[in-house]
Amino acid sequence: MRTLKKTKDKTKLFLFLAPALIIYVVFMIIPMLGAVYFSLVEWNGIKGAALEFVGLKNYITAFNNPNFILSLKNMMRMVFFSVLFHTPIALLLAVAINNRYKGYRVFKAIFFVPTVFPLTAVGLLWYFIFMPNGSMNAMLTSLGLDNLATAWLINPSTAMNTIIFVNIWVGIGYYMVILLAGLTTIPNEVYEAAALDGVNGVTKLFYITIPMLKPIISMCILMDIIGTVKVFELIFVMTEGGPNGLTNLPTTLMYYEAFRYDNYGLGSAIGIIILLIALILTVGGQRLLQGNRKEV
Amino acid sequence: MKKNINKIITFLFLIVMAAAFIGPMLFTALSSFKNNVEIFDSPFGLPAKFLYENYKVAWVEANMGTYFINSIFISVMTIVLLIVTASMVAYVLSRFTFKFNRAISLFFLLGMMIPMHSVLVPVAYIIGMFNLKNNLMALILIYVAFSLPFSIMVLTTFMRGIDASLEEAAIIDGAGYFQIYWRIMLPMSVPAISTISIFNFLGAWNNVLFPLLFINDNKLKPISLGLLNFNGERGSEYGPLMAAIIITVCIPLIIYLLFQEKVEGGLAAGAVKG
Repeated sequence: MRTLKKTKDKTKLFLFLAPALIIYVVFMIIPMLGAVYFSLVEWNGIKGAALEFVGLKNYITAFNNPNFILSLKNMMRMVFFSVLFHTPIALLLAVAINNRYKGYRVFKAIFFVPTVFPLTAVGLLWYFIFMPNGSMNAMLTSLGLDNLATAWLINPSTAMNTIIFVNIWVGIGYYMVILLAGLTTIPNEVYEAAALDGVNGVTKLFYITIPMLKPIISMCILMDIIGTVKVFELIFVMTEGGPNGLTNLPTTLMYYEAFRYDNYGLGSAIGIIILLIALILTVGGQRLLQGNRKEV
Repeated sequence: MKKNINKIITFLFLIVMAAAFIGPMLFTALSSFKNNVEIFDSPFGLPAKFLYENYKVAWVEANMGTYFINSIFISVMTIVLLIVTASMVAYVLSRFTFKFNRAISLFFLLGMMIPMHSVLVPVAYIIGMFNLKNNLMALILIYVAFSLPFSIMVLTTFMRGIDASLEEAAIIDGAGYFQIYWRIMLPMSVPAISTISIFNFLGAWNNVLFPLLFINDNKLKPISLGLLNFNGERGSEYGPLMAAIIITVCIPLIIYLLFQEKVEGGLAAGAVKG
């Protein structure tokens, strides 16, 4: 690498940095600092109206707000079920596909493709399936399971779980692809040696594949947790947080508080809380992963 | 024998799971050719007569065509601006040592931590203050800002790995920094650039959060927002709505089928960004 010495060089090269720096600072860093500021003021969103500094009041309001507490609980429930289903199913699919059946590429594409679709489209697609007169209920009826049919997204006892299901569905392929990449790093000799010892099938999965994939599996789980904290579109499209605010996550509640009820201060405070949660999970999780790796 | 049973079980598992993935997509695709009556009366059957009109209704009357073109424009502009700005930074960071090299890298890296939701209120404030409502350029610049951290990281790593001998030859021939950047570094970085382009094209195509805040002119809406718009206004025309969903997902689908490995690689690398 060359070292910059001459002043003329420095100015020239600064011109290379300037466009990105300007866009980044104006549209990301300033808004980020702005978010912190807005979380400390009260403002009704009207242009020119006074912004009153209220300190941590918005944060206190948030944690005293039952809707916010509920959104946090929903988030934890969603994280729990995502972690429970995403990686295990993805791993089974990855292992199955890794057998290279004829047409395994087709299988891979089928599982992966929802990942690249806009979440608004995925949300709508499932919204129509879970409508009261939608195809889910039609299918249950035709199977003679009429009593299971319900207004999935309107019934308070099924709405959140239905969204959690869709979120699991849409993400499986993503983790599958990452785990597939991991599987290719396991040398074939390991399996061959195991086969000689008579290790096969499920035993192979638990005693070779999973231990050898441990770092990647932990990475998937960490990504899953961080990603689930940011879920927004599915809820926005399928229930708008309803019925009666029961399916809100912090992300959607943040949006509705700020842009539907004009509580910009409270909305910003929730936005900052989301940032802190994501930050703690990212930094903490990476520490854990690196710690694990050092031990090995 | 036992091995065969294992194989069969694995295969059956794949088939069942594939059905769970294809089913909903196929249902939507089939419904896009049906009318309301048929969608509800025979949700799983083939349409008696393929109603291609649904696509025409979605494309023309429901403006999906306009939204589609808008999204193409927005996504292309985003990646062009992104690649130019990010690659210039990556060139400087990967090729020169100077006092603030590490500081600038870290400064950009910081952005990967910031969720979009956290900055919505100030972004809306800025949009209001500078009258940027319904300004596609502002939307594009926001996308670029949010894509810069990841893109700079990928490009800098890639450019560090490019052999310096070509450049040295160019310097001897009297090439300046810009020429080295434009004629050597940029062409040599095409693999990384294409990954970033595909990844961020999809990102811009799929995003709805920012347009939701400040695009309300029907002539300017991107496709994800346009789809919601359609559902909000005429949510009972199921056939055309299903057609609209198919129109919305067709570009990501085509991109995936054309660039499978790049898309998968980009998403896996972008995982850190989330």
